[in-house]
Amino acid sequence: MSHRVRRAALAGALSLSLAAPVLAQQAAAPAAPPSWAQGRSADQANSPLAPHAPRLTATPADRIPLDSLRLPDGFRAEVWAAGMPGARMMTRGEDGTVYVGTRTIGRVYAVRDEGGTRTSRILAQRLDNPNGVAVRDGALYVIAINRVLRYDNIAANPNAEPVELTGAFALPSEAHHGWKFAAFGPDGKLYMNVGVPCNTCTFDENRHALIVRYNPDGTGREVMGHGIRNSVGFAWRPGTNVLYASNNGRDWAGNDAPDDTLHRLSRPGEHHGFPYCSGNAWQDPGHTGRRCSEFPAPVALLGPHAAALGMRFYDGTMFPEAYRGRAFIARHGSWNRDNKIGFDVVTVALNEDGTQGRMEPFLSGMLEPGDNSFRGRPTDVLVLPDGSMLVSDEQNGAIYRITYQR
Amino acid sequence: MRTPSLLAIGLALLAPALLASPARAQDAARRGEALAAERNCGACHGERAVSGTPSFPSLAGQQREFIALQLVLFREGLRDVEAMRAPSEGLTDDQVEELGAYFASLPHAPPPDRARRNVGAFNNGAALASRLRCGVCHLPNLVGQNQVPHIAGQREDYLAGTLKAYRDNNRHGTDTQMNAVVQGLTDAQIDAIAHYVAQR
Repeated sequence: MSHRVRRAALAGALSLSLAAPVLAQQAAAPAAPPSWAQGRSADQANSPLAPHAPRLTATPADRIPLDSLRLPDGFRAEVWAAGMPGARMMTRGEDGTVYVGTRTIGRVYAVRDEGGTRTSRILAQRLDNPNGVAVRDGALYVIAINRVLRYDNIAANPNAEPVELTGAFALPSEAHHGWKFAAFGPDGKLYMNVGVPCNTCTFDENRHALIVRYNPDGTGREVMGHGIRNSVGFAWRPGTNVLYASNNGRDWAGNDAPDDTLHRLSRPGEHHGFPYCSGNAWQDPGHTGRRCSEFPAPVALLGPHAAALGMRFYDGTMFPEAYRGRAFIARHGSWNRDNKIGFDVVTVALNEDGTQGRMEPFLSGMLEPGDNSFRGRPTDVLVLPDGSMLVSDEQNGAIYRITYQR
Repeated sequence: MRTPSLLAIGLALLAPALLASPARAQDAARRGEALAAERNCGACHGERAVSGTPSFPSLAGQQREFIALQLVLFREGLRDVEAMRAPSEGLTDDQVEELGAYFASLPHAPPPDRARRNVGAFNNGAALASRLRCGVCHLPNLVGQNQVPHIAGQREDYLAGTLKAYRDNNRHGTDTQMNAVVQGLTDAQIDAIAHYVAQR
């Protein structure tokens, strides 16, 4: 079996996953289903459900669905920045610049707030799914699939050439679920996810479905959590330094299972269940080698196929007391479900010891149940120093700011 | 969470402001037509975007969203095709949308030099297309939807070349689905699929 992988000519262009084993002239070579369709049962074989198309062009200001947003009493939303197709994960530099990662369009944006108006620019482009952005000691880290770049002293040198750290991190090159969420922990280490390169499959459990951490230079890789299918958002609970991660459950197991989940990574290296156990103690019929009782239960259920992505704990003071310390989680919205869910931001209030949480709606209105359509896709949340909160909307290339006034 | 009915009413009231009106789409298509003339798209893709040029696709009646996405990939250097470098250079997002609206508005037609049907190849291709479930995303009549392109009646040489590029990982779409679908197909199988789809 030969692996034919040819890299695209442009540096940083789409890396090639699914290295195709080319079956030489076999008459009945059954094509593997695409990653997103693996694990489909026979009765779902003709389901028309498929991942939603991205939008790679800017949404005109008058078509950003600000007026559709619904929030609890006293909260207000504004368009904080727009014109950034594919805007996803956000991080904030020491000087207040917000850096925004993307997937398909391959860009990283930088948004500056000057005198109450925002200007954005394309800081990096032609990258393969540069979803991960994180700032530490004045340096911006951009993590694409199998590529890590560090922009030193980014505030003073906004056009600096990046330092290439790709070799040091040596990330897996699989494209499917290969985009990263990244954040620095309270320990100064760079944390990221490594998703599973399929919907559900048998895979190397030391290589995929992980949360890993590194020293900032790419050395010292440690697995912080196994069996987390694809986490695209995590944060540390204020006052505890315990890591919590959102996780996307598998597709094609029916409309209502398994749930997406919120996990508490209290013991480094612990296995959280995938591919054996997901959601609400849902044993995968295709992976029965281990039982749900072997794994820690998730802290909260976040809805089947809801695509729970970016999350942050609210550590500001602008929002009412009841919201302080809660996890805010952006649910990108479902594709693998007949009646769509998600397309919103929810909160999870944890109990005292942080082992259990309760999900509540926060920002809604992007989903129109009447015709099962959506207007936007909340993707990440970020708390600003004044206690307001940014919410990115990938579908509209916009960032909303949520404020509270009694 | 509000009840669905209240939410639906609220959104229904807002809907007209958010949806593109037919007049708006027509305006966009008109501007796209002028832009297509300016960028000389017809030289390769055909006068009314029905291509008589080997290996250049017809664009008439193509999915608007597919055109816009591919133009962005060309412009951003993420889909590297020599012949599309200059034509996509410097396109604004609005222009990308306008070109999508224009090509989508043109009547689809098979290429003027379409070969005669080879019944054996057609039937082989039909069987393969059925097994690979092309009709799930491209729809049973292969006219596509949203980011999934209209492939029925496309140039056979272009279809075959594209499928081989996906198989050999020389091309990506906005995701990697097609790479997986055609993984492991032989040239002969791809040629049969291309013949079948071109004849639809």
